[in-house]
Amino acid sequence: MDNLFLPRLARIALVRDETPDTKTFGLRFRDPVDQRDFRFLPGQFLELSVFGFGEAPFCFASSPTRPELVEVTVRRTGQLTDALHTLGPGDEVGLRGPCGNGFDLPSAQGKDLLFIGGGIGLPPLRGLIWNVLDERERFGRVTIMYGAKTPADLVYKDELQEWAARGDVELLVTVDRSNNGWTGNVGMVPTLFDKTELRPKTTLSYVCGPPVMIKFVVQDLLMRGFADDAIISTLERMMQCGVGKCNHCAIGHRYVCRDGPVFTFRQIKELVE
Amino acid sequence: MANEARTISKRDVAGWLAALMRRAEVIAPVAAHGGDVAFAAISSPEQVVFDFQNSLHPPKQFVLPQTDPLVVIRRNGNGIELEPVRDAHPRVIFNLRSCDARSLAFLYRMHASDLPDGAYLARAENVTLVSLACTVPCELGFCTCCDAGPFLKEGTDVQLTDLGEHLLAEPGTDKGLAMLSEAGDLFRPARPDEERRRLELEEAAKRAFGAETCHFASAMRRVSTGRVPEELWGTMSDWCLECGGCNFVCPTCYCFSVKDMKQDGSWVRCRTWDSCQYQAFTLEASGHNPRERRADRIKRRFFHKVSAQYYLRDGTVGCVGCGRCVRVCLGTTDMPAVVEAIRKGAWNG
Amino acid sequence: MDSVLTTCPFCACGCSLYVQASNGRPTGVAPSENHPVSRGRLCARGWNAHEAPAWGDRLTRPLVRRGGRLEPTSWENALELARASLTTLIEAGKDVGVLGSARATNEENYLAVRLARGALRTGSVDSFLRATYQPLVDGIVAVANGRAPAGTLADVEASDFILVLEGDLANTHPQAAHAVIKAVKAGARLVTVGCARTQLARLAALHLPALPGERGFLVAGLVAAAVAEPEPAGSPERPLPGFEALRGSVAALPVSEQLRQVARWLAQATRAGILVGPDGGPPERLVREGTAIATLAAVTGHLGRPGSALLPLPARGNLRGACEMGVMPHLLPGTIPLTEATAGARLARVWGRAPASALGLTAAGMPGRVAGLVVHAEDVPAVAPTGQDVLEALGQTECLVVLDAFLTPTARAAHVVLPVASFAEGEGTITSLEGRVQRVRPAARPPGEARHGWRALSELSAALGLPFPYRSANDVLREIGEVVPAYAAVADGTRDEAWGTFTSPPSDDREPTLRPLAADRVVAALPAVLALEGVFDWGSDPLVSLSPTLCRDHVSRRKLYPQGLVQMSRRDADGLGVRHGWSVRLASAHGEVALPIVLCNELEPGVLLVPYAFRERVAGVLGGRSEVPVTAEKVQ
Repeated sequence: MDNLFLPRLARIALVRDETPDTKTFGLRFRDPVDQRDFRFLPGQFLELSVFGFGEAPFCFASSPTRPELVEVTVRRTGQLTDALHTLGPGDEVGLRGPCGNGFDLPSAQGKDLLFIGGGIGLPPLRGLIWNVLDERERFGRVTIMYGAKTPADLVYKDELQEWAARGDVELLVTVDRSNNGWTGNVGMVPTLFDKTELRPKTTLSYVCGPPVMIKFVVQDLLMRGFADDAIISTLERMMQCGVGKCNHCAIGHRYVCRDGPVFTFRQIKELVE
Repeated sequence: MANEARTISKRDVAGWLAALMRRAEVIAPVAAHGGDVAFAAISSPEQVVFDFQNSLHPPKQFVLPQTDPLVVIRRNGNGIELEPVRDAHPRVIFNLRSCDARSLAFLYRMHASDLPDGAYLARAENVTLVSLACTVPCELGFCTCCDAGPFLKEGTDVQLTDLGEHLLAEPGTDKGLAMLSEAGDLFRPARPDEERRRLELEEAAKRAFGAETCHFASAMRRVSTGRVPEELWGTMSDWCLECGGCNFVCPTCYCFSVKDMKQDGSWVRCRTWDSCQYQAFTLEASGHNPRERRADRIKRRFFHKVSAQYYLRDGTVGCVGCGRCVRVCLGTTDMPAVVEAIRKGAWNG
Repeated sequence: MDSVLTTCPFCACGCSLYVQASNGRPTGVAPSENHPVSRGRLCARGWNAHEAPAWGDRLTRPLVRRGGRLEPTSWENALELARASLTTLIEAGKDVGVLGSARATNEENYLAVRLARGALRTGSVDSFLRATYQPLVDGIVAVANGRAPAGTLADVEASDFILVLEGDLANTHPQAAHAVIKAVKAGARLVTVGCARTQLARLAALHLPALPGERGFLVAGLVAAAVAEPEPAGSPERPLPGFEALRGSVAALPVSEQLRQVARWLAQATRAGILVGPDGGPPERLVREGTAIATLAAVTGHLGRPGSALLPLPARGNLRGACEMGVMPHLLPGTIPLTEATAGARLARVWGRAPASALGLTAAGMPGRVAGLVVHAEDVPAVAPTGQDVLEALGQTECLVVLDAFLTPTARAAHVVLPVASFAEGEGTITSLEGRVQRVRPAARPPGEARHGWRALSELSAALGLPFPYRSANDVLREIGEVVPAYAAVADGTRDEAWGTFTSPPSDDREPTLRPLAADRVVAALPAVLALEGVFDWGSDPLVSLSPTLCRDHVSRRKLYPQGLVQMSRRDADGLGVRHGWSVRLASAHGEVALPIVLCNELEPGVLLVPYAFRERVAGVLGGRSEVPVTAEKVQ
């Protein structure tokens, strides 16, 4: 029987600065067989070990359609992430996973897709977005809305430009507070809803971001006619094991690490704290 | 396997234990300081205590230690090297009480279900349970309310019953049967009067435990449907000092954290006991805490213990009625007291 | 897996627990069902007591400072460097001092005194937390003629009336809080006094609000109420000596109906428990508070009554023991005056050298003043009233010698670091708030070259010319029995089966001596009073901060509020038009500061509390006082 807690070794292949406190790490398994056989879904997460500091869960920020690197985007919030930020190409980390359920892409086939990310909530959507764009013909309209506190807090700046330049994606970006040089939208994410045409009956919306942003965005979507099942989000909880054993992420008898982290708004409503 | 019951003279028990000790680490209740009884690995058969109620610290620590090494992390010339820790040492837990045997079966199911936890299972599968049925009720136990004693029908490898001059031994599993067979001449088939005596003792023990004292069913109805007033959780929370003791001595609690311990230039990734009653249990890196209030944490504990949702998942309530939380509670929010409050909708301290 | 019975290292309740060890490392804790104090019950700290020694950053080799960096060296080199530096300073006529600790055993604290008064020939020996405890005890003892502190937590649990002068007992002394909770459940009447309606206050029959610093004033009011009763039930049959002078001194105090009610309850109680949480403020005021408390117990007939308890609560583990061992600048071991000739002669005989009998510097007075400082098992910024700010003064020390198990900020500032055993590795005794002297036993060996604390201190003394005859911690305890009268009976082996030995206070059948009370009114009616919450921060104690399970709440609060915080009642916040997390500017006569607020429903309006952990942030506003009147306004 396997040791559930045994990570597989990986090396950091690339590090990209996103914001002053956020970096994206590209990881490659040390064993080529691990790399070849690794399968995951957007929306799933992995337990990343920084040896000596333990492990912590991070959503895949990359798409399974681009398997050469596994990417995670990490903001510095504590000891482990501080330590991770000091690592560079060639340094070793451990990976365990994939954990969790992931987004259900097959059922999104043919639908219009609306991605709504706030701040550090874009990374889990990024994997999903690239997956969708790499299989673009399977889906209807694609709209991406993204908001951050200030222009400096926007992650994936190059990719935002790339998405904006594509004819088959509508990208709307906003910041809470602008500063010099910013010519784009200013305001909270829901203010973007009036800048495009929403089609609630044919659209699935994917919402990731800080709890307060999710709250307001979901309220707004419901008001505009989105069904509970058409609003899909990921839940954040304190997690340790990632495999449904340790009970840190339990909500009622559900476990964010096993039953989630992806939930429809209908499912979220049914969770009893 | 009831017809396989055998008998051993108490004079021969030391010899049996000595034989077991040659093949396994034997863990049994022993006398500790000043009247304390504790489960420990014995170094001689004479240490084993037969006349005891139960140890305050449950034997679960021998399958799920408070600090449980999972992976050794070493740095060598080529980088990091990982070695999973697998503890498959043969162990016998001897003279554990029915409730504790029941709890280990519960923990086994929990760790074997969904994604099986190999590190736990390796240890648990190499443990043989020799339980000692309870002919006299213990002071605080209420096992009869959760089908976990005083005698067991299943969940133990061998069940011992104290018949006075002899012990009756009933194998509950093939492993237990093999264990008794290996003991050879030390055991003889039980006589019908001995088996009758055992049944009488069980009936007498059940009578002595008296009526049900912890009414899970009616508490379950209220907890599962959210019909416990929030104010009641709030009131109770003033009587809890959030020590976590209820979790640590609970033979069915298993919440944990995972972290790296430095050891001589390398690290050991460990699973360590954690308590859902600690504020930081659900504290997120952002500082957000969905169960910041103590009332919410007590509510969580009892949802996990007695809700229908978990009952359906686990097949039982998360309690074996050992009564340890009554003894260990630094406040007054032990299982029977809270179940009573939920049932009556009122708390009286 | 080995399992060893030892005494909990955290607060002073004196719980017993088994530490389990595997492969030479502490791995877990098991409760002791029959221990008379804990009876199987532990608090969160106790349940995780094994963690810091196993998970903390441990000192394994002696370190000496070379070119600004600490480098490993041998014990011989480290001791020689300490000897040479300290000797040079003494010969140059400079001050040196020694800090003992509530984290250390009786044996270690006694040896710290021996090091100071014997080897270094200085009276500057103290511990930081003494100032939160010993003055209260001094005040009580003055009235009680030595019969204090009195009673046990078991007495408290069996009381029918309990008066708790908080501290937030549920956090600071959980086992004492348990005794109170159990008594209340059994029907006892609880009265709490304090500036916050803490958990115990919510279980109380009555909560008496007291402004920070006015606990003594409130108790004096209770005394006034008690002596105003025509014939209080339960009071002594004859008036106690000094009664009339006492009555005169409190006659002018205002007595509310609530105070009268509480005084009546106390007088009518068969068994009363009085728990005195640690308190801050000037020592003279704390002495007066202690006097008022003991006077209240005396005039209601509970002082010395069997079954009634009067227990001041030391802020940390072995604070009572450290004081009784003489870790005080103004008293010799056994709390004996410096000038008492027989005690001095006894020490001279036992040490082979007369003790320095000079009045020394207090702990707070030492950093920056002494050129040489030996610190045993104390992280100075964690316990100094000036917090992190003390590091600057500490940095001026010409020779700082630190003995510790952990690489604390104090150790990082040292010139010589001597690695010693931590909890679960050391041996010796500690004294609980009840006066129960209990053993600590090793479950694991000290790591690397770390030595037992008693041995390291003895070797340091020997290097400085005062050799030692001890071969074990128990040898030190035997010597303590010779020079500290209350510990005379402690050093024989029988205590183990009896779960420790009580120290025997000097027998004294005299009646209590009443004295006139001087009541401290700290602050008149003002917009608000700013004070620190508590006198000690568990989050900065190494045994908490190095435990992965225990440090989480503290770490998180420091991360969320790097600039500190001030707690405020909702009414005050509404009055200022601020919400949770918004900032207010606090201004006193001494200075001002802007801090984010945390709403605290437990607080009385008008009281603003800053957690002790953030005391540096308001040092300028407090201006060296423990509480000041302030104005508060919203930061726009």
